[in-house]
Amino acid sequence: MRSAIAYSPKPGAFGRVGALAASVYLGSLAVAAFVYSNPLVLAALAAATVVAGLLCGAGRALKTSARWAAILGVFIVAVNAIASQRGDTVLVRGWELPVLGQLDVSGEALIEGGLLALRIGVVLGIFAIHSACVDPDRIMRLLRPLARHSAMTASLVTRLVPLAAADHARLREAAALRGPGAAAVGRAAIVRRLVAGSLDRAVDVAAALELRGYAHGAPRRSGSQRRSRHDWRFAAAGIAIVVVAASARIAGVGDFNAYPTTELDARMPTLALALALPVLAALPFAGLERAKSSSRASRERRG
Amino acid sequence: MSRRRIRGLAAAGAFALAVVTSGCGLGEGESSQGAATLTITRDYGAQRLAEATEAEPTDSDTVIRMLDREVEIETRYSGGFVQSIDGIEGEIDAGRSFDWFFFFNGIESSTGAAEVEVRGGDRVWWDYRDWTDALRTPAVVGSWPEPFLQASTESDPIEVRVECFGRRDPCERVRDRLADEAVKASVETPHDAGGRSLRLLVGPWAQLRSDPLAGSLDQGPEVSGVFARFAQRQGGGWSLELLDEHASVARQHLGGAGLVAAMRDGEQPPTWLVTGVDAAGVDEAVAMLDADYLSDRYAVAAHAGGETAVPVGALR
Repeated sequence: MRSAIAYSPKPGAFGRVGALAASVYLGSLAVAAFVYSNPLVLAALAAATVVAGLLCGAGRALKTSARWAAILGVFIVAVNAIASQRGDTVLVRGWELPVLGQLDVSGEALIEGGLLALRIGVVLGIFAIHSACVDPDRIMRLLRPLARHSAMTASLVTRLVPLAAADHARLREAAALRGPGAAAVGRAAIVRRLVAGSLDRAVDVAAALELRGYAHGAPRRSGSQRRSRHDWRFAAAGIAIVVVAASARIAGVGDFNAYPTTELDARMPTLALALALPVLAALPFAGLERAKSSSRASRERRG
Repeated sequence: MSRRRIRGLAAAGAFALAVVTSGCGLGEGESSQGAATLTITRDYGAQRLAEATEAEPTDSDTVIRMLDREVEIETRYSGGFVQSIDGIEGEIDAGRSFDWFFFFNGIESSTGAAEVEVRGGDRVWWDYRDWTDALRTPAVVGSWPEPFLQASTESDPIEVRVECFGRRDPCERVRDRLADEAVKASVETPHDAGGRSLRLLVGPWAQLRSDPLAGSLDQGPEVSGVFARFAQRQGGGWSLELLDEHASVARQHLGGAGLVAAMRDGEQPPTWLVTGVDAAGVDEAVAMLDADYLSDRYAVAAHAGGETAVPVGALR
């Protein structure tokens, strides 16, 4: 079964957006998540990520990333509670652990851990949407002028790794189908065949690249790619999110101190920022939905 | 009840058992009597930045928590290492290294600030300094009457011994100064008593240098942690050389100069030197045993012109 975060062309407007605009849009949310520790702002960014994910048609990817984030979050909270020895609200005192020695667990350390987990969850969600909705080939094409060899390597890897996985599944299935009387095939034997097959394929790929003239430098551009009419919308929304988040941060909005006691800025400017981020994230979709529904309505009228 | 639920309950039970059997408690714990003091300085105590008092610290109070309440800090290594206090950050500037260090009751801590518990009466001193020429200054005089007071009031008190190298009179005055601070000490002739004891070596440098620990003063601050040394003069007698933070001789004092400094041999309790180039210098040093002269100082030199904090001119 295809992974929930694997790329597949999406039918909506976001599916037609260029890789650069899509990366700017989604990347802006990740940047904002790293800039702020305030739980109100992080919660708003989580909401913005969910809104963006659903409107992009990446609900499954979001669900998968949320599951990973929840598991990772439990570890982050537990580790931070043990590792951070700051915070005035001591909940457990003098906990003796092997190697680590005597530790305290404070409420502030738990809160800080929770916020770190939330931030990781937001970033995971953003990357899951990006992975599910943005064509990796287009990303590689963007990178080609900057790092031709790396882009080529990454392009090959993105193709060859799934092929190797499929080979592995086929070999395993073939081994299982030999019948109950046949000797069991160990993992090492399968891996040996897999590596041999991969090397053969690598030689074929290298020969194909050679024949196509990849050794003579980057292929000339066949012509400038036209940007989708939606690109500017998403790029503008991404830039707006970064500008709003950065300027608010510089102005001192959304302060948060975990230690020694938790201090949270919940004043109007912070609440306004928390409201603005999901709205900005949803904005580029809003007009498109209207356009889509109006065109459908006109089609219906015509029909 | 499902198997998963049983597993969850078993894990919770095991956790609770681990918590109980490991001897830990819930909440901040009981308060101790007295007040703990926090001093923050820079450049070997030359500039005082902040001071605070914590009344009746609780069982869960540590050096890092006490510091965290008073100033803005940034930490590394899970709070064990303080990187910055109120924006003054550890750095390498023009090839010289600067960082925050703390002394707990006059002893440089070898463990992280998160691991040192604070009780009533403790003195915590944070100092931001250039440590290029002396990574360790194992003990300082700036928390007087610590480490003597806390050591003698512990449930398992450490013996305080005034070891007399020469005339007995200055030694008795040292004992009286300690008594004024509620520290009980005995005056003895130098001997290897074994065991743990806090020592004050009192006498002229010519005699006192026979003590192995005191003798390491000659090897400079890198080894002794003290930015002062005695030099033999041509034609006899001694001079007291005071060093700056680069371990270069900044001043030299001849007759009547004394020194109060603290040293430490490994993990043993500190040893204080109350000494001078001659008998008059020892008297000058004894007179320095007062918080007015010693506070926030690594070591103090006494001479005809008054007293000088050591290292000399460390203000950056």
